Amino acid sequence: MQEFDTLLKKSSAAHGHLCPGQVVGVRMAMLGCRLVGLDEPTRIDQIKKLIVFVEMDRCTGDAVAYVTGVKLGRRSLKFMDYGIMAATFVNLETNTAFRIISTEEARDLAPVYAPEIPEKYPQQLEAYKRMPDSILFRVQKVRVDMSEYDLPGPTRKKVSCSKCGQVIRDNREVVQNGHILCKPCAQGAYFSEAEEITWPDMNWTPPKKKANDHR
Amino acid sequence: MIKTIKLKDAVGMKLSHDITEIRPGEFKGAAFHKGHTVCSKDLCRLQKLGKNHLYLIDLEADEIHENEAAAVMAQALSGQRVVWKNEPREGKIGLIAESDGLLTVDTAALAAFNMIEEVMCATLHTHTLVKRGDLVAATRAIPLVMKRAPIERAAAIAGQNGGVVSVRPLRKGNAGLIITGNEVFHGLIEDRFASILTRKLIDLDCEVAHISFAPDDSEIIRQSICTHIEQDCDLILLSGGMSVDPDDVTRKGIHLAGAQEIHYGASALPGAMFLVAYIGDIPILGVPACGLHHRTTVLDLILPRILAGEKIGKKELAFLGHGGLCQDCPKCTYPHCAFGKGT
Repeated sequence: MQEFDTLLKKSSAAHGHLCPGQVVGVRMAMLGCRLVGLDEPTRIDQIKKLIVFVEMDRCTGDAVAYVTGVKLGRRSLKFMDYGIMAATFVNLETNTAFRIISTEEARDLAPVYAPEIPEKYPQQLEAYKRMPDSILFRVQKVRVDMSEYDLPGPTRKKVSCSKCGQVIRDNREVVQNGHILCKPCAQGAYFSEAEEITWPDMNWTPPKKKANDHR
Repeated sequence: MIKTIKLKDAVGMKLSHDITEIRPGEFKGAAFHKGHTVCSKDLCRLQKLGKNHLYLIDLEADEIHENEAAAVMAQALSGQRVVWKNEPREGKIGLIAESDGLLTVDTAALAAFNMIEEVMCATLHTHTLVKRGDLVAATRAIPLVMKRAPIERAAAIAGQNGGVVSVRPLRKGNAGLIITGNEVFHGLIEDRFASILTRKLIDLDCEVAHISFAPDDSEIIRQSICTHIEQDCDLILLSGGMSVDPDDVTRKGIHLAGAQEIHYGASALPGAMFLVAYIGDIPILGVPACGLHHRTTVLDLILPRILAGEKIGKKELAFLGHGGLCQDCPKCTYPHCAFGKGT
């Protein structure tokens, strides 16, 4: 794994800014990988072994994803909308999992660890670099029972919603009174008043390459 | 796991913890010690101590008793020249200075340690001069039984830099004094600085090897510093000439002598115009005239730290500010006051 400073620089660039959450996220990812025994999680021989459950949609989550290389589309990144500054690192090969929780006391201790910096966020940023892992984090050894439908790899099941016809992948359907339904039809959705429309330039496609443009 | 049993059913069982007795103004301590087997004649006294029930402890694998927890934490908290005995009293273990010296407390690690629930450690102030055998800190777990993991995490935090409390011995300085000022050099007034500084140095077990006098002439001050260094002084104190008047040239003399680092100004009163410089590894201290008037000044805060091997720079002088205001009491009780205790 690359050095902390290098990872922080690259992660911050990918995220868009450097912030205390990035420091915590990079360190959380480095610790998580160390605990599950993966020293190069983005390398081809390790990339399929790691699943990370992220429990917050904050800067820390982006840093964890960047350092570990987990991605939503690869099904290696799972977002659990708990609002908790925590992430669980699962090694599928060894079946070991550790949940790392960012401590609240680290926030209170920032003025003690970087007393020479008066502003809140720069102080937290520097303090989180200085604190040992034992202060920044609590760690739980946990068991994560992974459904085969949550694992990376090809789609394992497809069904259609009996109400709207939408194809549902990977066992996410709901069965009500013997009818297969998608979650929006069965439980309601984050959107409402859905109305099919037309839009300008409906027939746009990416420009075709010229015949001799095969670079 | 803890079970509660009625006192009348406790005869024959062993106490799982010390039972404290407090007689206000007279006594506070263990009336019964952990492991004591309760017998019928104890019941009346236990009732008088307010005990109608006792705990029976059956520890789970992931649990730890307060006495063992205190020992785990004491081990982790103790740095160099700090010792402890595995003899908890009412769950507490005291940490003791193994030698004379300057107590150093890792205040950041201490704060982090105490942020862990169910543990505590209290210490003397950092930079307190201590004697061998002095109690410098004490620790205990709060509950009788707790989970082992938080105790081990607290111990890891305490041990992050080799322990939270340590004692650094003071070196025996071979000091040179340079008393500056035309008024003294030309005999217009009698010097009193030399005796004051000598007393402070001797109190810290230093030797005053050489004392010289210099007028307000930066070149002569430079020569005096160089002469003291040639005479093997490993600590040089200069008095006077530290203020803002045109005759105050001590600082310039220190600069001319080749000081690589000069930190002028300390966040303490008295002693704002204090100066710390280094020529090689030799500390050069500029003591302002307040040292003549006040029994205790910034010099008393910094000198022990220098003798303990600490490199004093801008940060150390700036951090004196919190607690750096002497109240100028009619009768000085330093070090038994707040002066210098904020860092």
